Amino acid sequence: MGKSILVVDDAAFMRMMIKEILTKNGYEVVGEAGDGAEAIEKYKELKPDLVTMDITMPEKDGIEALKEIKQLDPNAKVIMCSAMGQQAMVIDAITAGAKDFIVKPFQADRVIEAISKALG
Amino acid sequence: MDMSQYLDIFLDEAKEHLQNLNEQMLLLERDINNLDIVNEIFRSAHTLKGTSATMGFNNMATLTHEMENLLDLVRNHKMKVDSRIIDTIFSSLDILDQMVISISNGGDDSLDATEMINSLRSISSGESAEGKDQNSSSALGNGREDFLFDEYDRTILKQSIESGYSVYKILVTIEAETILKSARAFMVFHELEKYGEIIKANPPVEDLEKEDFGDHFSIILISKNQLEQVKEAVMSISEILDVNISTVTKKDLELETEDSKDIKKIEEKSQNNNSTKIQANKVSGKMVRVDIERLDELMNLFSELVIDKGRLDALANDLRNPILTDIVEHMSRISSSLQTNILNLRMVPIEQVFNRFPRMIRDLSKELNKKVNLSIIGADTELDRTVIDEIGDPLVHILRNAVDHGLESVEDRVKNNKPETGEIILKAYHSGNFIFIEITDDGKGINREKVINKAIEKGLITPESTINLTEKQVYELLLKPGFSTAERVSDISGRGVGLDVVKSKIESLGGFISIDSKLGKGTTFTIQLPLTLSIISSMLVQVQEEKYAIPLSSIIETAIVKKDEILYVQNQEVINFRGKIVPLVSLKKVFDVPNSTNDDSDEVAIVLVRKREKVAGLVVDSFIGQQEIVLKSLGTYLSQVFAISGATILGDGQVALILDTNALIK
Repeated sequence: MGKSILVVDDAAFMRMMIKEILTKNGYEVVGEAGDGAEAIEKYKELKPDLVTMDITMPEKDGIEALKEIKQLDPNAKVIMCSAMGQQAMVIDAITAGAKDFIVKPFQADRVIEAISKALG
Repeated sequence: MDMSQYLDIFLDEAKEHLQNLNEQMLLLERDINNLDIVNEIFRSAHTLKGTSATMGFNNMATLTHEMENLLDLVRNHKMKVDSRIIDTIFSSLDILDQMVISISNGGDDSLDATEMINSLRSISSGESAEGKDQNSSSALGNGREDFLFDEYDRTILKQSIESGYSVYKILVTIEAETILKSARAFMVFHELEKYGEIIKANPPVEDLEKEDFGDHFSIILISKNQLEQVKEAVMSISEILDVNISTVTKKDLELETEDSKDIKKIEEKSQNNNSTKIQANKVSGKMVRVDIERLDELMNLFSELVIDKGRLDALANDLRNPILTDIVEHMSRISSSLQTNILNLRMVPIEQVFNRFPRMIRDLSKELNKKVNLSIIGADTELDRTVIDEIGDPLVHILRNAVDHGLESVEDRVKNNKPETGEIILKAYHSGNFIFIEITDDGKGINREKVINKAIEKGLITPESTINLTEKQVYELLLKPGFSTAERVSDISGRGVGLDVVKSKIESLGGFISIDSKLGKGTTFTIQLPLTLSIISSMLVQVQEEKYAIPLSSIIETAIVKKDEILYVQNQEVINFRGKIVPLVSLKKVFDVPNSTNDDSDEVAIVLVRKREKVAGLVVDSFIGQQEIVLKSLGTYLSQVFAISGATILGDGQVALILDTNALIK
């Protein structure tokens, strides 16, 4: 069975995109979350092998969620999803323990590269 | 990847974001120092950028990107919000809106946004402390891979080598298409710091941070680890094309010439994300997006079921089997609650229409130099999706009228002891099977004399007939085709399209519009709309062997009159009904219904219907009763049938045509 992945993004559209890329490449998307708080809940519940985490989200942003997930599970593998121009936040996230980041618009091969490297 | 399947959801979300952006911008305009709002706007713009770029709408992405840049400066206190920023962002939103519309109409985003992009840029760069100096730094990318060490560097490196550390010169090449190169570089630094200490980087860290480098950079690392280990660590980072590591020896160091460049550690810019919590204005419930066509389909299937239920009903009545009766009764209850549920699915809050008005009123008031405060009441009132789609334009028209013609100029208001700011209230509420929308302004009201004079001038009425006109009748003149009271044709309203268009639109939705006004105090437009268009209350009537449904909303009353009471005026059958002469229309004649029974009774059944103030009597053979019917269109081939607006299937499986009484009354 493929590695389990939790997809976090406030845009349903983006979640669909990532999900499609992942599923096509043999990963199993076990859950989706629309904001940081939900992401943490889902993480506790599903214990996925990896999380893709959008940075800009309402209520609780991706970096806060990342930090909390890292507290729950220091070995958590989180890949940040960012957009152009979020350099500083990406750096913040890496410092906070994110494994890698991918940049929107997503290119399937990049996403897969990042995920396989993070899991490997 | 094929993106077309995502287009719908993309458009949906894009529209939501644009709406949100407009709303938030309006809030920001009132409260320009509120960074929470700026953050919310930023977030929305940001998501929009991401999704549009993914869909390949690069024009949209570029425009939102520039907007985001500007907003970023604002939220990082590098710039203050002023009217120029607000106006520019509003105009950008308009362009984005047009792009979205064009995309949803099957086009693309190729609208020319260069001007907008440039003005966003000029605002960002003009006042930005962070304006990028394009000419800074050396020609990087092909730059020197060699380091120039100063005395201090050399001393440190020598000492390190002497104490058993290795000094590596690491040349990292990242993939050419990498976005956020400096974050990638940071990851390399972050990784390498686990293995030792970074002494120097080329290009310098400041340039790496500014993304001012080509596809490669080099680093000097002091480490105790093996070269291979370090290499592997860097290669494990994604988007790294190649890593070339060489060991620096003491000899190399001695050959270095002097240069002075400092090294700074990459400063971890702490974005103050935590301090700026955006209040959640939407509770994200568990939602499913459903195509309206599927709901229509569901409704259709359900109405088929209702028909069968009707037949079962009839059967149970005949058989008088208690068990069967029991089952049928239970089914009736369930199907009626099912019907309510399905109808509710089609209901959407009128908010969808209302929420674009604040922005419109803002623009109007700026354009006309009037101060306007728009209050919206009852935006959560729900009505049928099909009505929602149609009601927007008429409302826009009435609101524009209210601002343009209704409200006085600021000077006139002050002269008349009114507050400078005009009030417009947009209110929606349910009542019975109808929804009411009221647009009230506290402007100058309608001048009776002016209206009458204008109507005479336009030949709509004769001077003699004006004496007995009630206020209502006068206001109704405004709704007549070819009437426009505006003394001058302004850009806002009175473009030749009058309120008559509004009226006919609303009537086509099965609704009514009325006007109420007090001179000097203001005007109220009231629109009455049916809750839903798909199920209507109707009166079933029999004409020979055929059945017809007449919408209850247009029926005044029913009556039975003696045949000898029918009079003839100019060869037209009329009756004197409660002192009023009412023309009769025989449905049998209009629809050419074949004769099947001999008509020997001396009475006729009449349904009195109205279209505004006009009344007519429809002659039928008998009344069947009142019934909720499911409206089905006749399809494209038969859409132009005279006086028929659709059809319905009755409980016994028969088809009844639904009358369009408006067409029968000329």
